[in-house]
Amino acid sequence: MSGGIFLTKSIKKYFALFALPTILVFTVIFIIPFLLGVYLSFTEFTTVTDAKWIGFGNYVKAFSNKDFLNALWFTLQFTVVAVITVNVFAFLLALMLTRGKKGTNLFRTIFFMPNLIGGIVLGYIWQLILNGVLMKFEVTLTVSAKYGFWGLIILMNWQLIGYMMIIYIAGIQNVSKDVIEAAKIDGCTRFGILRNVTIPLVMPSITICLFLTLSNSFKLFDQNLALTAGAPSKETSMLALDIYNTFYGSVGYEGVGQAKAVVFFVLVALIALIQLAATRRREVEN
Amino acid sequence: MQKTRGRDAVLFVVLLVLAVLFLSPILIVLMNSFKGKFFISDTPFYFPDGQTFIGFKNYTEGVAKTGFFNAFGMSLFITVCSVAVIVLLTAMTAWYITRVKSTFTRLLYYIFVFSMIVPFQMVMFTMTKTANILHLDNPLGIILIYLGFGAGLSVFLFSGFVKSIPLEIEEADLIDGCNPVQSFFRVVLPILKPIAITVAILNVMWIWNDYLLPLLVIGTEYRTIPIAVQYLKGGYGSIDMGAMMAMLVLAILPIIIFYLLCQKYIIEGVVAGAVKG
Amino acid sequence: MKIKKLLGLTLALTLFAGLAAGCGNKNEGAATDNSGANGGGNAPATAKAEEIYFLNFKPEIAEVYEKIAKDYEAETGVKVKVVTAAAGTYETTLKSEIAKSEAPTIFQINGPVGYQNWKDYSLNLKDTKLYSYLSDQSLAVTSEGGVYGIPYVVEGYGIIYNDAIMKKYFALADKAVSVSSMEEVKNFDTLKAVVEDMTAKKDQLGIKGVFASTSLAAGEQWRWQTHLANMPLYYEFKDNTEYDNTVLAGLASNEVEFKYNQNFKNIFDLYINNSVTKGGLLGSKSVTDSMAEFALGQAAMVQNGNWAWSQINEVDGNVVKAEDIKFLPIYTGVSGEESQGLAIGTENYLAINSKVSPEKQQASIAFLEWLFSSDKGKAYVTNDLGFIAPFNTFNDNEKPADPLAKEVTNWMEKDGITSVAWTFAAFPSEEFKNVFGDALLQYAQGNKTWDEVVTIFKDTWKAERAK
Repeated sequence: MSGGIFLTKSIKKYFALFALPTILVFTVIFIIPFLLGVYLSFTEFTTVTDAKWIGFGNYVKAFSNKDFLNALWFTLQFTVVAVITVNVFAFLLALMLTRGKKGTNLFRTIFFMPNLIGGIVLGYIWQLILNGVLMKFEVTLTVSAKYGFWGLIILMNWQLIGYMMIIYIAGIQNVSKDVIEAAKIDGCTRFGILRNVTIPLVMPSITICLFLTLSNSFKLFDQNLALTAGAPSKETSMLALDIYNTFYGSVGYEGVGQAKAVVFFVLVALIALIQLAATRRREVEN
Repeated sequence: MQKTRGRDAVLFVVLLVLAVLFLSPILIVLMNSFKGKFFISDTPFYFPDGQTFIGFKNYTEGVAKTGFFNAFGMSLFITVCSVAVIVLLTAMTAWYITRVKSTFTRLLYYIFVFSMIVPFQMVMFTMTKTANILHLDNPLGIILIYLGFGAGLSVFLFSGFVKSIPLEIEEADLIDGCNPVQSFFRVVLPILKPIAITVAILNVMWIWNDYLLPLLVIGTEYRTIPIAVQYLKGGYGSIDMGAMMAMLVLAILPIIIFYLLCQKYIIEGVVAGAVKG
Repeated sequence: MKIKKLLGLTLALTLFAGLAAGCGNKNEGAATDNSGANGGGNAPATAKAEEIYFLNFKPEIAEVYEKIAKDYEAETGVKVKVVTAAAGTYETTLKSEIAKSEAPTIFQINGPVGYQNWKDYSLNLKDTKLYSYLSDQSLAVTSEGGVYGIPYVVEGYGIIYNDAIMKKYFALADKAVSVSSMEEVKNFDTLKAVVEDMTAKKDQLGIKGVFASTSLAAGEQWRWQTHLANMPLYYEFKDNTEYDNTVLAGLASNEVEFKYNQNFKNIFDLYINNSVTKGGLLGSKSVTDSMAEFALGQAAMVQNGNWAWSQINEVDGNVVKAEDIKFLPIYTGVSGEESQGLAIGTENYLAINSKVSPEKQQASIAFLEWLFSSDKGKAYVTNDLGFIAPFNTFNDNEKPADPLAKEVTNWMEKDGITSVAWTFAAFPSEEFKNVFGDALLQYAQGNKTWDEVVTIFKDTWKAERAK
């Protein structure tokens, strides 16, 4: 232990070299803008320097804004559906790909690939395809918010299934063969093994995947912008896009935009706290 | 035995169908990129034929219109430099705040972790303004901005890894008369290599595809690939579907090449990053 | 020990300075530029701005401006940075750009409304040569004796038609209308009768629809939410006898009745019911698509302005001959519309940023004067930009030679015809137009009734004006 202190002491002098550059940049680029953002949400401003304190006015405006409430509701619905579909499909794929059959690696490569493509590009790829399919029914993505909704769900599945599948595969491969063999000998059915052995043992992976999809869906921006850009009439705008439009779409609404952003942050933070709690509980159980 | 083989065959066919489904969007875009711009949105699922096939015209026109190679160079420059800076500096920072135990470093650690959960929209406006005031709104300045935003996750991942390195190795080195700087670069950094790859991969995936941050900071003057693609819509008066298809293909191509070359690292990196994050 | 500490600090500083210096390099040009500008008082009178910044409004001609900028730099050594805002985002781009340290030196306002937003940034141009070049100085945006916006292009729009198809139709033996040439189409009822009969006979005529697609994709709606919306509001504001100018009347209106909404509906319905494309699919159509349909002879008519000539001309397989391209005014069923002409005006006024250094202001004015008075500049304006420029520096043989520009001039000169003024300069904001455009899309797709569209129009006007 004394050695540890010796180490600490000798490194400590090098603060300026090791830690200062990152901390300085981090402070300027993140901490100050963050605090300034919280402060500005209580003011009226157009260029940061001309802020006037107005209390909760911006928050009142944000919550009486139809577009914001609609975006909030749309985002919540989207998140629930996306989290469920992505994880179910990803888990099923992972099960299929952990049976040690030939071609497994190739399939894994293919399923994971869409994840690397950026949101803007993904959005336009799917706009082409979905409009092409809808063309047969003489409509387009902009005809109704429900087309945009399911379009985003399909896009999200295409993008994230491979990613989550990889994590599930890692989890499933950690389940030792012996446990499963033992269960088989005990006369468990295939489904029984899945329910009583595999799923409980890959629970950590499930938690990770749930929260990854949750935060990815909740914060979605690029895909939303490229696929529907909110059409028709902002009905498919999600929270991030609505905040962006409030800031840059109309002059004089910067304060409201910042207030919406703070609300958005609080919601994301809540999700993260729940995740933390879940992870803690899991660690305790283990 | 017969039964298992039958089931295997079914499984294989199911996977094959799914694989085709997964690849088809990209193939459809590829196919349409060779068709005239007025034959794309109406008939996206038809192969190009004598009337609609126009060879590489969409590519030549699209590249000229969007300045694709400039955008590619810009994306490459920003991504490579930012990732290099992030990996080096956050590794150093993480080592420092993990090894030097004080209230201050613990607080720093929690602030870094906290920053991971703050959505970009929260600081979008104020950060853009700050960047402008400090003259960071250029391709070099944006590297520092990425360091600021990437620091949270990267410091977190490095810290987790540093904790697992036994102190004895570094101490032995120090006792041998090395100063911590030498010790870091000679001993610690090589040990950090696996996690450094993870950090690099995660940051490459983020920065290469990032749209909003570069748009707001440097977007009016410099275009990265996502900005160039989005600018095709509305940026030239009216969308040119042909150029759009060609640009989508060109935007995907480098990613696929990168993926096929570093597949093992990418998949491992993503898993490691997810499990720890 | 101390030495080591110092060493660490120095290393850190070097590292950081390296990074900082890296970013500094890029700015060096700009920095020198600034010092030259700020030191204008002390420096010799030859001090000149090295770079000016033009924030362009018209994405379709962005490439031409790039070419002009290069040429100008080669000739004078002054760098012109051209940035173009994507369609429908000019105001927001200007807003964020003008707050930056390297702000645009030349920007554009869309008339008196724009001036109100940007008056703190608009330089008085009264004593410039540019202002003296104007053929009609009353066209400029003025306020309390100062001149703040100089129009640089006059444009006209209406219904562009392909006379070859029309002649083919009028020659049909079984046509259901009594008129026999487009000259006789002078009001909405006649137009409607002709169009609907043409739709019934579209196979005979070899067209897919009478009108090219009503493009309603996001960012592609301006022909309807701005240009077509101009018609009913022009008439509404004309009824306001307190003002002799529809733009001023519009500016004074905190609310609108949308009194002539049925007239808007008349023509809009005619467009979408006799279109190449079914209503449900209009949300994916772009302006390029609809100009291509016209150029390929799939449609006989399309609403657009004289700037559309290049778009028609550049389509591969274009079958429309230049001499067959004609303009028809947009008839909507307002009484007395027989004497109505094309919608002619401008929403393009150049303004100079008053907050940049005097050197930059002068350099910006010099650039504009070069563009609109030197032979080289004028050649660009006429041949490449295709502008009908309202300056006396242009001779008659320096007017654009394309068929649509000629048609605009013809219509302006017709006896007994009154052009419709561009009243949309009085629209409250871009947001207003976009909301209305979205409502039109919803209407075309059948998910909103016309009454709802009218309500949205009125409510949004009121709300945006109140901002």
